[in-house]
Amino acid sequence: MKGIVFTEFLEMVEETFGLEVVDQIIEEANLESEGIYTSVGTYEFSEMLTLISNLSDKVKISINDLLYEFGKFLFNSLGQAHPEVIKSYTDPINMIQSIEDHIHVHVKKLYPDAELPTFNVLEKTDTSIITIYESSRGLYALAHGLMEQAFRHFGKDVSITYTLLQEDGTKVKFEAKQNV
Amino acid sequence: MSNNEIDILKRSIERQKKARKQAERILEEKSKDLYDLTLQLRETNERLENLLSEKTSELEGVFINIIDPYIVMDPGGKVIKMNQAAISLLGYNFKDEDFNLKSIIHPDYLEQSKKSFEQLYEVGTIKNFKTKIIANDKSEILVQLNASVIYDKHKKAIAAQGILRDITREEEVKQLLAVQKRQLDIIVENSPLGIVLTDKGEIIKSNQAFQNYLGYSKSEIEGMIVKEISSPEDIDESLRLMEKMEEGDIDKFTLIKRYTKKDGSQFLARTSVSAVRDSIGIMEYQVAIVEDITKEREAADLLKESESRLSSLISNLHLGVLLEDKKQNIVLSNQMFCKLFSIGKSPDELLGKHVSSVSDLVDSWIVDLPSFKKLTQTLLKEKKTVLGKIIELHGGQIIEIDYIPIYSNGLYTGHLWIFNDVTVRNNYRRNLEIQKEKYSSIIANMNLGLIEVNNDDIILLANQSFCQMSGYSEAELLGEKGADILSVKNKELLLSKSKERLKHHSDSYEVQVKNKDGEWRYWLISGAPRYDETGKVVGTIGIHLDVTEQKQLELQKEQLLNQLESSNVALKEYAHIVSHDLKSPLRSLNALLTWMKEDYGDVLDDAGIQNLNLMEDKLEAMDNLINGILQYSSIQDDVSKNTSVDVNEVVKEIEEIIYIPPHVKINIVNTLPTIIADKTKIHQLLQNILTNAVAHIECEEGLVEIGSRDSGDCWTFRIKDNGTGIPPEYHEKIFDIFQTIGNKEGSTGIGLSIVKKIIEIYNGEICLDSAKGKGTEFYFTLAKNK
Repeated sequence: MKGIVFTEFLEMVEETFGLEVVDQIIEEANLESEGIYTSVGTYEFSEMLTLISNLSDKVKISINDLLYEFGKFLFNSLGQAHPEVIKSYTDPINMIQSIEDHIHVHVKKLYPDAELPTFNVLEKTDTSIITIYESSRGLYALAHGLMEQAFRHFGKDVSITYTLLQEDGTKVKFEAKQNV
Repeated sequence: MSNNEIDILKRSIERQKKARKQAERILEEKSKDLYDLTLQLRETNERLENLLSEKTSELEGVFINIIDPYIVMDPGGKVIKMNQAAISLLGYNFKDEDFNLKSIIHPDYLEQSKKSFEQLYEVGTIKNFKTKIIANDKSEILVQLNASVIYDKHKKAIAAQGILRDITREEEVKQLLAVQKRQLDIIVENSPLGIVLTDKGEIIKSNQAFQNYLGYSKSEIEGMIVKEISSPEDIDESLRLMEKMEEGDIDKFTLIKRYTKKDGSQFLARTSVSAVRDSIGIMEYQVAIVEDITKEREAADLLKESESRLSSLISNLHLGVLLEDKKQNIVLSNQMFCKLFSIGKSPDELLGKHVSSVSDLVDSWIVDLPSFKKLTQTLLKEKKTVLGKIIELHGGQIIEIDYIPIYSNGLYTGHLWIFNDVTVRNNYRRNLEIQKEKYSSIIANMNLGLIEVNNDDIILLANQSFCQMSGYSEAELLGEKGADILSVKNKELLLSKSKERLKHHSDSYEVQVKNKDGEWRYWLISGAPRYDETGKVVGTIGIHLDVTEQKQLELQKEQLLNQLESSNVALKEYAHIVSHDLKSPLRSLNALLTWMKEDYGDVLDDAGIQNLNLMEDKLEAMDNLINGILQYSSIQDDVSKNTSVDVNEVVKEIEEIIYIPPHVKINIVNTLPTIIADKTKIHQLLQNILTNAVAHIECEEGLVEIGSRDSGDCWTFRIKDNGTGIPPEYHEKIFDIFQTIGNKEGSTGIGLSIVKKIIEIYNGEICLDSAKGKGTEFYFTLAKNK
């Protein structure tokens, strides 16, 4: 997993719960990386799972809720890091539609070894989009948060519902409807 | 700042330092990689440059010949190269005039295009960029552009090359598709049929109808496995078909299966599954259309049941039925039709055949074939309902034919023939007429007067005899009120009888009626209520017999009987008086004779004594005679004295009373019956016969036999002796009073007349079989029910 996810995650924890909690969840986990992450590096996915479950235990918030919140945080961070990407879109639906064909192409340019989820668009109108998220990581809640924030970023109010097509969350159908 | 906080910060800084070092290391590695790569690239570049200069001239021709429109433009957008396809698409030629790609972009797309161009030079490529341009002929063309930047040796962008694709049509099609998809969505969502999209057995999308069928909400049902909502018994078949579809053997299948609802109940549905395949035939999704056929199935079952009821009704109908369609093919016939015309085939075999296959057979039965042919031709031509046409068959049957054309929505679709065998009905009607005639002639000719009146006593009918009896003609009687025209002596009786009639009572009674001549006549009337077909009393039928003559005879007879009775009584009294008065001088004579024998026995000679003895005998006979007369006259029919009498007992008693000479024996042949009678009379009857029998036996061994047998209504008795016998000339006389044969002592000539009188009381008869010297056999009968 890319280092930027770890650094941004710890950034969110620090902003939200304070440095002490960051320190605790790292110290309590027996991590190979010892909690030392740089955005340009690549680390084990299991470390992210350990960190987030430690945080969940600590702050008594479900993992999925944490992931959802992290998704929203991550969108903003990524947006700050790569503003040109977001600027090339005028509305969130087009942006989500272009994840596969545009955004992920750019990601692969910078990080050829990145393991990315797929977003297959099933249906799209001017105000709604149905897409199927597929990833062995099963981080659909993170994807949910990212999408939610994408709409907010463009100043759109949205209702996103999702259906688990696989119980482990490795295949999920998202339906996003813009509220007019 | 607490120690703890310092520790945390220390650790954090430590991590940051290490992270920085890690990042620096990674970057150093990357720098080295890049340096190596640059060296490699430089070498490759030099090789390529040589190669390029070789290939450029070749490529130039190739680019020009690319089928898709191809352009090369400088960073400002000015077109510096384009192929023939691009020229014909845009209508501009860079050779003829300078033109800038940016200048022909449609104003609506300007801003977006500007960004895309920036992106192109920034990233180096642009893919599937859509924009609208205005061609030289002012037509608007929607194009898709795939472009890449051309760099010079110094990595400076000098131009961009791109392939344009006219997607105007494609986009129109896309929009059309989107519209159609929206329409389809509306149809799917509002379809009364359940529609569901599945992927490998998992429900991805479903419409409202399907959710309603199963009772799950949209969010509940999506993600469910089809197996979960299928009835277990149908799963194997579904899987088998699904496998075939997966293998590409079939593209769709339909099956009828049961679904389990959320509430656990089931419903039967026709399910049509179609495969949605990608361009190379791999199945991506399955679309299933689900139709609840529970009600349909129930209705079909009901229909089937009613059809079978109807067809069994028709096949067992007592009417011959033949239904033809408009081409005169047989649609339906029944057993009775085949039987009537001896078709020799079952109704099922006739099905679908043209009517000509049976018409010859039918025709062969018709007596008047020409008329029948004419009739059927007219019927088929006019196509109007005709009922009750009568035809006669060679077998003697009378058939009533109905022709009924059948119209559906005003269109003639065929016709129905109905054949009704009315032979029996016709014969019945004829018989009824014959019967009516018969009775009418009986009524007209009978000797009894018949009259029919309604409830108001108005005469509706009177026959010949009644007219004769009453003296009025039929014309005088009809329409008149019975009581007005015929005066009756006892009107109250008549009125009460009329009331009885209304209570459905019928009886007979006698009235006195004055006829037209003013004569009073006795009529015996039998009256009975007359009913209409609903069983209501509408009047009276009276049968009259003039009994005036009989009545007069009866009155005479009654008078005679009264006279007879009083003279009988007088006679009886007379007999008593006479016998009593006669007996008293007899007793005096007897006393005088006894005294004379006692006082003068010594002085009288033998002859004198003998004469006295003779006188004594005559006196005794005289006494017996008088007793006999008394008995005879006192025998009377008196039922009240009847009891159960054992005749065997009676015979025994008689044997003890009467004198039986020693050489005579009385023998009872069979056990005699016990009869209902006056015991005294039976005793007297048998005693009189037996006394006679035993007294007249002269042979050495006398035998009297008594026997009896059951003769149905009566008992027959037989008393046989072997005595002197009775000559045939006396056989009648002996039963008359005072008749004896010879001068046997003690014979009064009354005994057998008493016997006859008793037998007559019991409705019996007596006769005898005898000849002189051959013994006598008496037969007599006694009725059982007296």
